[in-house]
Amino acid sequence: MAALIAQLLISGLATGAVYALVAIGFSLLWQGAQTVNFAQGDFVTLPAFLILAGTALGLPFWAALLAAMVLAAAILGLLFKRILVDPMLRHGAMPLTIATMALSIFLENAMKNAASAEAYPFPGLNGGITLGPLFLDWQSIMVLGVAVVAVVALTLFLSRTRTGRAIQATAQNPAVARLLGIDVGRMVLITFLINAVLVTIAAALISPIYLVKFDNGAQIGLSAFCAAIVGGFNQVRGAVAGGLLLGVTEMFAATYGPDQYRAAVPMVLLIVFILFRPQGILGRAEERRV
Amino acid sequence: MSPVLEARELHRHFGGVKAVNGISFAVAEREILGVIGPNGSGKSTLFNCLLGQIAPSSGRVLLDGVDVTGLRPSELNRRGVSRTFQLLQVFPQLSVRENLILAGQEHVGGRIRRLFGRPDAGLGGAADHMMELFRLTHLSALLAGSLSYGQQKLLDAAMAFMAGPRLVLLDEPAGGVNLTLLGAFRERLRAMNAEAGATFVVIEHNMDFVMSLCSRVICIAEGRIIADGLPGEVRENPEVIEAYLGH
Repeated sequence: MAALIAQLLISGLATGAVYALVAIGFSLLWQGAQTVNFAQGDFVTLPAFLILAGTALGLPFWAALLAAMVLAAAILGLLFKRILVDPMLRHGAMPLTIATMALSIFLENAMKNAASAEAYPFPGLNGGITLGPLFLDWQSIMVLGVAVVAVVALTLFLSRTRTGRAIQATAQNPAVARLLGIDVGRMVLITFLINAVLVTIAAALISPIYLVKFDNGAQIGLSAFCAAIVGGFNQVRGAVAGGLLLGVTEMFAATYGPDQYRAAVPMVLLIVFILFRPQGILGRAEERRV
Repeated sequence: MSPVLEARELHRHFGGVKAVNGISFAVAEREILGVIGPNGSGKSTLFNCLLGQIAPSSGRVLLDGVDVTGLRPSELNRRGVSRTFQLLQVFPQLSVRENLILAGQEHVGGRIRRLFGRPDAGLGGAADHMMELFRLTHLSALLAGSLSYGQQKLLDAAMAFMAGPRLVLLDEPAGGVNLTLLGAFRERLRAMNAEAGATFVVIEHNMDFVMSLCSRVICIAEGRIIADGLPGEVRENPEVIEAYLGH
């Protein structure tokens, strides 16, 4: 029993780590540009296709991953910001949010047209290691390891570098940040580029498990969105906590409950948190003066 | 020698309302100029025109004799003009020390150093000194958002000095600060004026604070300067008394 629980915990943490990476992107875009990006799930699917395209062209996996990261930064970072976010944000957060929904539909159909509705296998690690009653598969270990490194690197970047501090200042008070001479536009762009890198890493980690299919993004995006809110929408640590909690909850719910309801777990968790802890696990209750 | 700051015939109209109506004055190096006036007299609009936050309808703003009318606040900041805010504008989720370093870091080094240079931008010593001056050392590692209102006011003021400004515009610095902190705050500002040679323009409603800090005071009413002189002279000026009492 204990071994099964440990096994579920590790598998749940591995899935949750991927949710966490995508959820961090949600939080960063929210902080940087007040953008709730409902195409975030599709932002994970596109780099997966790009990596597959790279390997199909004969590139080794690592080179295809790097190329996909650069392309994702250009398409999902730079172009997304310049073509959609900048023009729409002038009209308010809500029109932009709706525009990201439209972008999600566009991306899904574009990927379906380009790659068909087939689910493509994605290279991953096989086998694992047996520790007593526990079997740890290499893929889960790698997912956890890479996600931890990515989160630690991002946290160090945001907290220990001048640029990271300027990004935080931009998120907290863009008007004053601008007054202090910070190039707010560039900081927001860096935030979008970070998101593009994170979703590419998430794509490489989760695709061996879910395969690559044009509409995978809907579920990943929804789960990560719920994870970001459950963790506390306005901070990276919260997104990590929310992602891990959701991954573990999903795993236990799927094992001990009816599997067909697994997809509802993120929404149920979200509703529970909205009712009983609306600021999320690590979020702060925000005061408003009236 | 040209004054540090000069306003020449500044006007700012909002439709038919003449918020600033032909204001001219000059601020000499190391001077502490107080700007007083009843509510709605045009002080804040004047401040916003001086700081480039709104464009004047007409007139000019000169910094060291150079026309800076219409320059953006960030550009003025690079030219050595700093400000504090009437409403608190610290970064609540950064520590006190990080707030201070942030306030000065964009003035140090180019793009490469910003990316790969020291995390404290070489400003750690300056931040420590500023915390010592404003009695914030014991709060160094705390998040700015967790400080009391008065402490955040001190931090806001300390941030204004991090970039080594020549001119600091303080917008109601005494507002909401308790009496104990206020005395210390005034002494800190005096020390900064003496040690750093910074020039101040202070908008303030607290008369005792203005009169005891400033070397010269101007009083604005209905968008015009109605008195300009030593603090004692302005306080006794009948026109000023009438403007405040509304007779």
